[in-house]
Amino acid sequence: MQRTSGITMAVTLAASCLIGTALAAEKAPTKEAAKEAAKAPAAAVKKSGGQQVKSETSSAPATAKAAKAFAQVSAELYPKAKQEGNLVVYSVWDVEHLRVITEAFMKRYPGIKATFWQGRNPEIVTRALTEFQGGQASFDIVLSDNAPAVIRAAGAIMDYNTVQRDVLYLHDPNMATVSLQIQALAYNTKKIKPADLPKSWEEVASPKYKGMIALDDPMRAGPLSSMLSGLKTQWKDDARFNNFIRNLKALGVPVHKSTSAMFRLVIAGEYAICMPALLHDVMEEMHKGTPVGYVKTVPPVVFPRQAAIYAKAPNPNTAKLFAEWLISDEGQKTTDSIGRETSRNDFKSKTSIESAYGKSMKPVPVTDQQFLEDPKTWLDKFVKPIWEG
Amino acid sequence: MTWKANRLALRQGSLFPLFASTIAGVVIMTPILVVMWRSFTSGKLGFTVGLHFDNYLRVFFDKDIWPMLSNSVIYAGGSALLGTGVGGLLAWIVARTNTPGKALVELMPLYPLLMPPIMKNIAWILLLAPKSGILNGMLDQFLGISHPVFNAFTMWGMIWTFGIACVPLGYLFLLPVFLSFDPSLEESAYIAGSRPVHTMLHITFPLAIPAFISAFVLNFLRALRSFETPVLQGTPGNIKVFVSRVYDSMALEFNTGLATSYSVVLVILSVITLYFYVRATRFSERYATITGKGYRVRVIDIGPWKYLTFAAVCLYFLVGIAIPFVVLIVVSIIPYFDYETFMTFPAHMGLNNYRTVLRHSSFINGLRNSVLLSVVIAMVTVLAAIVMAFTIHRTRAVGTKIFEFIGTLPLAFPPLVLSVGLVIIFIGTPLYNSLWALGLGLFVAYFPYAFRNASGAMVNIHKELDEAAWVHGAKWRHVFFKVTLPILKPAVGGALFYIFIEAIRNVDVAVLLTAPGLEYGPVTLFEYFRVGQWAEAAAGGVIYLIILIVAVSVAKFAFKMKFSL
Repeated sequence: MQRTSGITMAVTLAASCLIGTALAAEKAPTKEAAKEAAKAPAAAVKKSGGQQVKSETSSAPATAKAAKAFAQVSAELYPKAKQEGNLVVYSVWDVEHLRVITEAFMKRYPGIKATFWQGRNPEIVTRALTEFQGGQASFDIVLSDNAPAVIRAAGAIMDYNTVQRDVLYLHDPNMATVSLQIQALAYNTKKIKPADLPKSWEEVASPKYKGMIALDDPMRAGPLSSMLSGLKTQWKDDARFNNFIRNLKALGVPVHKSTSAMFRLVIAGEYAICMPALLHDVMEEMHKGTPVGYVKTVPPVVFPRQAAIYAKAPNPNTAKLFAEWLISDEGQKTTDSIGRETSRNDFKSKTSIESAYGKSMKPVPVTDQQFLEDPKTWLDKFVKPIWEG
Repeated sequence: MTWKANRLALRQGSLFPLFASTIAGVVIMTPILVVMWRSFTSGKLGFTVGLHFDNYLRVFFDKDIWPMLSNSVIYAGGSALLGTGVGGLLAWIVARTNTPGKALVELMPLYPLLMPPIMKNIAWILLLAPKSGILNGMLDQFLGISHPVFNAFTMWGMIWTFGIACVPLGYLFLLPVFLSFDPSLEESAYIAGSRPVHTMLHITFPLAIPAFISAFVLNFLRALRSFETPVLQGTPGNIKVFVSRVYDSMALEFNTGLATSYSVVLVILSVITLYFYVRATRFSERYATITGKGYRVRVIDIGPWKYLTFAAVCLYFLVGIAIPFVVLIVVSIIPYFDYETFMTFPAHMGLNNYRTVLRHSSFINGLRNSVLLSVVIAMVTVLAAIVMAFTIHRTRAVGTKIFEFIGTLPLAFPPLVLSVGLVIIFIGTPLYNSLWALGLGLFVAYFPYAFRNASGAMVNIHKELDEAAWVHGAKWRHVFFKVTLPILKPAVGGALFYIFIEAIRNVDVAVLLTAPGLEYGPVTLFEYFRVGQWAEAAAGGVIYLIILIVAVSVAKFAFKMKFSL
């Protein structure tokens, strides 16, 4: 016990000096940022119009109007963007996809150098908000699904309303929706006959499918929870919604925290039905000849993938130009070429809702702002009491 | 007494190792203290709320954490015991028996280290899944056993997968101990009439206890905070582990403060396990196997049993890498995986997935960056860890036991939490978004491995060796470079190899510290795992493994490089 430590003290002193410096470095801008952050969410919520759902198909005049608006905004922004010269993208998309996208953008707009950093949604939110609190003008735009709304709720997104809004299926007046995440009810064609398949999302919860289904974890910010949010908004019937969750729970089937691993297990034959799978994954596998399919009568759930401009973006004009270009005809073609779903309702591709489900299909859009900005609170309020109760 | 000890330390020049260890300690503690501080001052990311204890109150009043903690302890304890036990047994077989095929047998337990844990998870899920698993399918097809015998989605399945992955670490920690025995200890037993097995059980194995506990602690903490096995195998089996609370705090609530508060529970568990380690090794002389009387390895002739030990090493090689590797190779060249398609192999095979991976332009560029960084980090980390272990066990300065705790602490923090601390430190400095920051991140993350390895090995060296040098007036640098370091050579080789392999595939710590535009190999390769493209992931993994296996074999046989032997 006599060994009280000079060393311990040395370590502690040195550590506190270093930490002091580290925290001071963080603290100075944090005070200012905290004020902004404290103000911004309230302002953001007030200003927020939330997701707006447009019609599934667009008229020819709307397409022409969007093309003209894009040509104008492109001509206006490009000289400024060229002066800025750089674009830094934070994204959840695959590295190879980001490479294709940024190279096509740089080819279209010479003089701009686009770089990217890829991470998962929690990593993007963590990095973006830590940099925001640290007052860093470190990136320009976030290209992702779950992350933009959460970052915006913390006041770290600069509102931007795209000029091509009339041709978007899902439109958010504050962030450009550049692609869609479409969730489908997928199945293994070797394990279940088409006649035995559920005809709706609700029917999946029928006891006859016990032991055949794998569920995404409804208590994480993943596809199933966003589907629940979409269905709740669409049904406007709490009893029906609660009953649906109760019946799902009663199935006692395995839940997965990794949607992609669950989909692979459906292909392997471990399960017959996957609730849900991502449409572009299913299409890609079907194209390869894998024995999977999706139920065309079950409405797809549509979640926005957005390009959101960082509040402290060092190159805001380039960020706006990039967002607009992604929605333009050329940008959508590039997005389609990497197998991702496009966001325009006048753009035909194999993963567009019209091609995959037919003209009459009414999808389930995810538009609940509370879910998008704070999934934990939403789940605790509407799902947890039944799922874990 | 304290004053005298410090004066002696000063005279011997041991202030330098103290100073170096303090710097390493500060580098390690800074990100940890930063995130700890934030856990008292911030709520959800992006919002500073002032001093509060809400995060800790939530943790300690969370009624669900007890069953989760109990699952975690069973899973981590089981995996660590399996991994360290098998690793120790393999080390003894390789070091002390006349098992045939020495050159091959030496390397066999190391190859599984080359396979990233997530690849093992996927391979074992494909093998052990109840309905679609290859082994259950074979039992049904060939023996008519239709009821699934194996189930990857159980506690046993989790312990098996992670435990098997823990073996190389146990092997690397215990091999140097078995290789550097004072022969007089065993010879005394033989002279007293003890048989080899009796000697082994009562002399050899007890002497390896410090290294065993050191490896066990490390494997236990690795398992405790591991996330892939619980997510891929635990969640479908409704087995909830504690670390998922940490993950949810980040992924669902975006609250690093809460994640840190949950990590404090892991810190408490680490302190408890370290306490037992420090107590077990407090009379370190008892475990000194290398003394001033010299040492040499006495190989025991185990007669016909040597074929059994050879079979045991081969069996581990089979389950540790060969079977999962073969499964992944097949998965990478068949159009899709299900049992029927798997069994029709080699029909329908194609190399599309390999073409996809090799066309991935970041693959090769990224690999070059990560190889360079991993080599440097392995060398720096191992050297710093040995200096710290030297400071604890060899210098006379007081209070050095605290380093035992500091050197292991980063293991208690999930990588994402740790890297948030590093981001906060570097943000606004020229180091942010540089390779230096990434390097320091890897240093902090892997220091515990190098440190536990060095600390465990140093306990086995009797103090009389360097005391002889001290008595003759040697300064610390003479003792360190001329006495301690040469004796520690096998352990150093093992630690270098281990950290290089781990660092080269690190994603979790690296991801927040990688600058936009910087191609970093592991991020590219493991992206396939992350997005669930298992066939492409298998192809990438196979290419990566072949590169590493060739590199290790060339280094071993052409350049006579020793990794642990």
